[in-house]
Amino acid sequence: MNKLLLAALISGAMAVPAFAADYTIMAPAAPGGGWDQTARTMQEALQSSGISGNVQVTNVPGAGGTIGLAQFVNQSAGNPNALIVGGYVMVGAILTNASPVTLEEVTPIARLTGEAVAIVVPKNSDLKTLADLVAKLKADAGSVSWAGGSAGGADHITAGLIAKTVGVDPTTINYIAYSGGGEALAAVLGAQVTAGISGYSEFASQIEAGELRLLAVSSDERIPGVDAPTLREAGVDMALQNWRMVAAAPGITAEQKAAISADIEKMVNSDAWKTALETKGWVNTYLAGDAFDVQLDADIGATEAILKDIGLVQ
Amino acid sequence: MSSGAPNLSRRPDGAALVIAVILAGIAAIIIWQTSQMRLPPIQARVGPTVFPYAIAGGMLLLSVGTAVSAMRGGFPARDNDNYVPIAWIIGGLVAQILLLSTAGFSIATGILFAFTAKAFGRGPLWQTIPIGVVFAFIVWFAFAKGLQLSLPAGFLERLIP
Amino acid sequence: MDTFGLLAQGMVAALQWQNLIYALIGVTLGTAVGVLPGIGPALTVALLLPVTYRLDAAGSLIMFAGIYYGGMYGGSTTSILLNTPGESASIVTALEGNKMARKGRGGPALATAAIGSFVAGLIATLALAFVAPWVVKFALAFGPAEYFALMVLAFITVSAAFGDSAVRGLTALFIGLGLGIIGIDQQTGQSRLAFGVLDLLDGIEVTTLAVALFAIGETLKIAADRNQVKEEVMAVKGSVWMTKEDWKRSWIPWLRGTAIGFPIGAMPAGGADVSSFLSYSAEKSFAKHPEEFGHGAIEGVAGPEAANNASAAGTLVPLLTLGLPTTATAAIMLAGFQQFGLQPGPLLFANNANLVWALIASLLVANFMLIVLNLPLIGLWVKLLTIPKPWLYGGILVFATLGTLGANGAMSGHIGPISFSFELVLLLAFGVLGYLLRRFGYPIAPVVVGLILGPMAEQQLRRALAISQGDVTILFHSPIAITLYVVTAIAVLLPLFMRLRGKGQVLGQLASDED
Repeated sequence: MNKLLLAALISGAMAVPAFAADYTIMAPAAPGGGWDQTARTMQEALQSSGISGNVQVTNVPGAGGTIGLAQFVNQSAGNPNALIVGGYVMVGAILTNASPVTLEEVTPIARLTGEAVAIVVPKNSDLKTLADLVAKLKADAGSVSWAGGSAGGADHITAGLIAKTVGVDPTTINYIAYSGGGEALAAVLGAQVTAGISGYSEFASQIEAGELRLLAVSSDERIPGVDAPTLREAGVDMALQNWRMVAAAPGITAEQKAAISADIEKMVNSDAWKTALETKGWVNTYLAGDAFDVQLDADIGATEAILKDIGLVQ
Repeated sequence: MSSGAPNLSRRPDGAALVIAVILAGIAAIIIWQTSQMRLPPIQARVGPTVFPYAIAGGMLLLSVGTAVSAMRGGFPARDNDNYVPIAWIIGGLVAQILLLSTAGFSIATGILFAFTAKAFGRGPLWQTIPIGVVFAFIVWFAFAKGLQLSLPAGFLERLIP
Repeated sequence: MDTFGLLAQGMVAALQWQNLIYALIGVTLGTAVGVLPGIGPALTVALLLPVTYRLDAAGSLIMFAGIYYGGMYGGSTTSILLNTPGESASIVTALEGNKMARKGRGGPALATAAIGSFVAGLIATLALAFVAPWVVKFALAFGPAEYFALMVLAFITVSAAFGDSAVRGLTALFIGLGLGIIGIDQQTGQSRLAFGVLDLLDGIEVTTLAVALFAIGETLKIAADRNQVKEEVMAVKGSVWMTKEDWKRSWIPWLRGTAIGFPIGAMPAGGADVSSFLSYSAEKSFAKHPEEFGHGAIEGVAGPEAANNASAAGTLVPLLTLGLPTTATAAIMLAGFQQFGLQPGPLLFANNANLVWALIASLLVANFMLIVLNLPLIGLWVKLLTIPKPWLYGGILVFATLGTLGANGAMSGHIGPISFSFELVLLLAFGVLGYLLRRFGYPIAPVVVGLILGPMAEQQLRRALAISQGDVTILFHSPIAITLYVVTAIAVLLPLFMRLRGKGQVLGQLASDED
C-alpha cells in the first residue's frame, strides 16, 4: 500500500511534461508564513495540473513584504515569467514604512484568497455582544484593550475603523500588538486583555471548543456555518477583508498579462488548488481583471485614510 | 578568552580608551536618533523612546567604566595578532558579496573558500579557487536542486537545467 | 480507550519495520543538514519537510519527527567541536562544550549532549502525552507582567553567570540591547535606529548575529593567531566515551535542564534559547566546582542541551493543544501537520486521536533512533577536528554564508549596477565585531542574550503597562510574578551570602594582596 502510493507519487512527479511557461514566484516573506505557503501552494497546483512544468519559489523576507516588492520591481521588470505573492498587509506596510516602491509599480493579476477579521472575547467575559463592546469603548476607550497582530496591520486597522465608525477617536484605542496572531490568541485565552482581534482562522478552533466567544466578523457576508453576525449586522457600518493576491512584473505587454491571467484562472479552477484551500482552511475569494483593480484602489485609499486617523502615517 | 592576567604596567591602554570613546559615540547616536523620532499620538504609558534612552544611558556609564579600566590597565594582555590572514578572509567575504548576483553562488563562494584557505596558509590560489568552485557547486546542487533552497545562480549554475 | 492504550496503539503503528526505516532516514537527513554550521533547526525542517510529502501519513509523520530531532541535535555538534552554533539555543552549549573539545574531551561533551537530549526528549514527550492540558493552563496564566518578571530573572541570573569583568560583560550585554532596538517598534509601528534602511526595519536577525559572532569571529581569531601552526590537534585525549565521573556530574543537570526547559518551551513567549540560558546559570550556581565554568564544565553542556531539547518538546504543547506556533520551527511544523490532515487546537485530541498518538509515538521512536545513530558516530564527528584548518574553516564560511542566504536571500543592496545581499554585509560586520570582542577580552554570549531578551522585556513591560493603563502595581499583581521576583532575589543574594560565609578568608587574603 505504502509502496504503491510512493510509486504513484514518484511517477507522477516525473511524468510532468515541460508545459508552456516556467514561473518564478517570489514570496516576500520567510519560509513558513502565509505568503510563503500561498506561493508554495501555487507552485504545487501549477505543476501538478500541468499548467507549468517548472515553478520556482524564492523567499525575500522583510518589512511587511516591501523589501521583496522593491527587489521584484528592480529585477523583474518586463519578465513575463516572474510573479509575486502579496496581500493586504503589504498595503499598510508600504505606507507605514514609507516604501520607495508601491503596488502601482507591479501588474496585479488576481486576488486569490481572503479572510475575515474576527473579534472575540474570553468565554467568561461580561461582554456578550458587539454592542456591549462598543458601549464600553464609547464609555472609556482606554479600558478596552485589544490584542492583535503588529501595529499597522489588518487587525490594528480593523480596530481603528470600528472606533472611527462608532464615533470614538481612533488615536485613543488601547491596541496591544503581539507578534503574529498566535501570541494574541494566548493573551485572549488567558484573559489578559478585553478582546482579541485577528484572522478568523487563528481563533476558529478555540471558538468551536467554546473557549472564546465570537462577537462579530469583518466580512461582507456571514461565514458559512459560523454563528456570528457581520460587523454591519451588529451595527458597525464597515467591512474589511484581509486578502492575498498574485501580481506580475512591471512593464509586461497586454498579451503577456492576458497569458498569465489565463494560467492563474486555470490554476484557481484546478482540483489541486481547491483541495489545498480546503486542507488549509483558506477561503477562495478569486477576483481578477478590472474588478480587482478597482477593489485594490479602493482598499489602498481607505487604508491610507485610517492609518492617518490612527496616527501611524502622516 | 577573558581570563588573561591584567596588565601589570599602569600605562593607559590606548586601544581600550578608543573603545570607551566608541561606546560614548554609539550612545550619542542612539540619543540623537531617538530624539528625532516622531511620536504617534497613540495611548502609550511607556513610549518607544524610553528603552533607547535607558540603554544609551547605560552605555554612557559603561563608557566611563571602560575608560577607568583602561587607565588602570584592567584589560587582559592581548596576543600579537597577525592581520594578513584577517585581510584575506574579509577580502573573501567582500568578494563573495560583490560577485554573488552576477557570477552566481559557486564562483563567488569558491573564491571565499580559496581566500579562507589562503588565510590559513594553503595556496596557491590558482589551485584552491577551482577546488573551492567545485566544492561550492556541489553544495549549490545539493541545496538548490535537491532541497529547493533559493540561492543565486550564475552561468555555471544555469548549465544544469 | 485510556491514554496508555492509545499510546500503545500508536507505538505498534510506529514500530512497523518500514516506519523504523523512515525514522532512520529522517534522523540521518536531519542530522546531516543540521550539523552544517550556520543552518539551524528551523531551516533544516523547512528544507527537509517536502521530503516527507511523498509518504503516507504515518510514514511522513515519523520521518518528520526524525528530521526534527536530528536537526535539533545536529546543531550542538558543531557548537561543541567548532564553536559555531547554528542557532541561538546552542550558544550556551558552545560556551562549555567547545572548551571541553579543546581539551580533547569533545567525545564526552558530544555524548552528554546526545544522552541529555535523549533523556530530556523522552521525559518531555511523555509529559506532552500525559500532562499537556495542565501545562497549557499554567502557560496561559503568563501575561505580560509575568513574562516581564521572567525576563528580569533571566537577565539578572544570566549576567551574573558571565565572565570575570563586570564592565566588559555588561558592555557586551548592552551592545546586544542596543542592536535589539533597531527596527520597527512593535507597539507603535515606528522605526527606530533604522537610518532609513529598509532591510533594518525587521531588526537584526538573531541567527545572523549568532553565526557571525561565533563562526566568523572565531575563524578570524584563529586565523590571526601566530601560534596556530604549532598548535597540536587534540581530537581525542583519553576516552571518547564518558567516564564514571562524567556520568555522575551529568545526570542531575539532565533532569534539571528538562524541568526548566519543558515548561518554558510550553509558554507562548518562552523558547529554547531562554531556557538554555536559565539552565546554564542554574547549573553554574548549583555546581560543586563553579570555578570550572568557562573552562569546560560538563554540567554546562548537559543542562542546557537537555533544556534545549525539552523545550523543543514543550513547544509542541501550545502547538498541539492551542494551535499556537511559538517558534519559527513550530510554525513550519504546523504547516507540516496540516499536510497530514492534523488540525492543531483544543479539539485535536478528540478529533484526530489516532494521528496525535501516532505523532507522539513517532517522536519517541525518532528520539530513540537519534541516540542509536549518533552515539556510535561520535568517534566520527570528533574526526572533524582533524580536517586540515584551511579546508575546515573554508567549509565553515561556505556553510555560514549559505545558511544566511538561505534564510534571507534578498539582494537588496546596490552599488551601481551590482546588487548584493545586505544580510551578508551584516554577517561580515558582526563577524569583525566578534573578532574585536575576542581580541579585547569581551565575552560573546551576552551580546546575543541582549538581542534576544531585550526586545522581549521591553515589549512585555510596555504591554503590561498599556493593559493596566499605566498602573505600575500590575507588575506585582500575581503570585507567579511575585514568586519569580523572589527567585531572582535569592539568585542574587545566595551566592553573596555563601561567599561571605565560606570564602571570607580567601577574600581577606585577596584584599591584603592589593597595594
